[in-house]
Amino acid sequence: MFLLRKEFRHIRRNTFIARAIIAVPIIQMLVLVPAVTFEVKRIDLAVIDSDHSRASRELVAKLSGSSFFAVAATPQSVREAESMLFAGNADMVLVIPSDFSEGLAGLTRPRLQVLVDAVNSTSAQLAWTYLNSVVRDFNRDVLLSGGSPPGQAGGMIMSSGSMPGLSVLPHYWYNPTLNYKYFMLPGILVILITAIGLLMSGLNLVREKESGTIEQINVTPVMKWELIASKIIPFFIIGLFDLALGLSIGWLAFHIPFEGSLLLFFACAMIFLVAVLGMALFLSTMASTQQQFLFVSYFVMMIFILMSGIFTPVESMPVWAQQFNWVNPVAYLMRINRMIMLKGSGFHDIAMDVGLLSLLATSLLTLAIRAYRKRA
Amino acid sequence: MEREKVIEVRDLVKKFGAFTANDHLSFDVYRGEIFGFLGANGAGKTTAIRILCGLSRPTSGRVMVAGIDASRRPEEIKKRIGYMSQRFSLYEDLTVRENIELYGGIYGMRMKELIHRREAMLQRLSFTSYGDTLIRSLPLGLRQKLSFATAVFHDPEIVFLDEPTSGVDPVTRRQFWEMIYETASQGITVFVTTHYMDEAEYCDRITIMNEGKIVALDTPSVLRQQYGTATVEELFVKITRPQRTMV
Repeated sequence: MFLLRKEFRHIRRNTFIARAIIAVPIIQMLVLVPAVTFEVKRIDLAVIDSDHSRASRELVAKLSGSSFFAVAATPQSVREAESMLFAGNADMVLVIPSDFSEGLAGLTRPRLQVLVDAVNSTSAQLAWTYLNSVVRDFNRDVLLSGGSPPGQAGGMIMSSGSMPGLSVLPHYWYNPTLNYKYFMLPGILVILITAIGLLMSGLNLVREKESGTIEQINVTPVMKWELIASKIIPFFIIGLFDLALGLSIGWLAFHIPFEGSLLLFFACAMIFLVAVLGMALFLSTMASTQQQFLFVSYFVMMIFILMSGIFTPVESMPVWAQQFNWVNPVAYLMRINRMIMLKGSGFHDIAMDVGLLSLLATSLLTLAIRAYRKRA
Repeated sequence: MEREKVIEVRDLVKKFGAFTANDHLSFDVYRGEIFGFLGANGAGKTTAIRILCGLSRPTSGRVMVAGIDASRRPEEIKKRIGYMSQRFSLYEDLTVRENIELYGGIYGMRMKELIHRREAMLQRLSFTSYGDTLIRSLPLGLRQKLSFATAVFHDPEIVFLDEPTSGVDPVTRRQFWEMIYETASQGITVFVTTHYMDEAEYCDRITIMNEGKIVALDTPSVLRQQYGTATVEELFVKITRPQRTMV
């Protein structure tokens, strides 16, 4: 097909695009996968130690010894600590009361006070959980070392601290080490092919409108479907190529496990690409300049990606947002990819999603074909 | 002997909202003639040409091109015509050969025939040395010639040229008109719009449009006599701006 050969020639001649096709997935995977994470690694801790005892120093040492905390400062007053929290120099303030070591001896019941910067509620909760577990550890050490007889009110209590006795041992399935990269990587692959599919193909058609070359094509007897196929197929292939490239990087650089079937994975990506390319063509029929197209598609892409559940679980979104995801192709592939890659789901596990995604792809493509006019 | 009509337009009206771009146009174009379509900017030439090419639909009226109704089967018309738009429209990042190959292919030419005809055409235009040059690096005059040659590469019945020589130097314009004559001598009807009144003299018949209407239609010599002017340029000014030339 002559039109197809022409499109590939355009891509090859445009060295910038040709390089971007290779570079974008590499950069996106190497930068985004490790960078976009909710893991809280280094919490800056300000400690007010009013006790100055061996025990209090031990607790501080235990905290700073863990990889999560760094003792950033030791302010003298709560007020000073508060201003550090306000200025962002500390994420968390720990106040050790003056009766701390006495309490450990079982004489009083000391209370540790914790102030957390909760601007980001997720990291604040994580920080709190980490601190809690370190303190619980400390508590247990104290009990075992026989500071006071077990059963008696030894150790200290935290406002929500749990007492030893029953312990819950979590088993994290599908991502046993709670590696955030494993969760993000399938999602970032989806973003990758969304951006490539939507922007490259859409801009291609609008650019031809701008330069006037499309008019020359429109005045030929070429069939509408031939023209649309020539605008879709190259970017379909590029999308799949970039997906394979991104996946290989994930495998080489991050050792992402791949539990499911590669075949199923790529088959779903193909359906998805048809949906995205259909949408790109539809949007490009409405735009007459590249600027208009970029503005609209950027907006559409952001909504689709943020609502797809890449960062936040779809289940915790408001009901209308969950309903919106019925027509959000990104949400389907986000779920499908994670299920195939991390859970090793087979076709029957994701059949519903695959079916709905196919329906969406067909509708978007039909919409694009109907909206395209070989005129004006 | 009645000459064969290749274009037949009756009461063509094209409206964009409240604006009437083409107001009851009626004319015929005969096979093999060079038909000049003159008019000031915004007179409605491009609108009419786009309707004739099937790129736009008439609001009302009857438009037959190569025996086909332009309101009903515009895609059929597209098979039988060539079109060179006002805006340069070959692909700048493809070579001369690749552009010709693309259009030949779209019109369903076989690869072997395509290559044969392409090389013959490049030879005829003495373009062979530019064959693998990107369009981007060709001077404007050459581009326009190539654009025309591409528009008639598939041997259409009619070729529409929308201001093909604007911005081209006089020497190239002359060569361009030689190409037009050669094309017409092969029996291809040439429908051309232009701003250059000297070019109008080269046409077999001309029509002058003003504000969406046809105000004159005949051979250049008949019109000059009729209005008592020495050149088509004077004629044009007289017709389109009567109040200023009544001295």
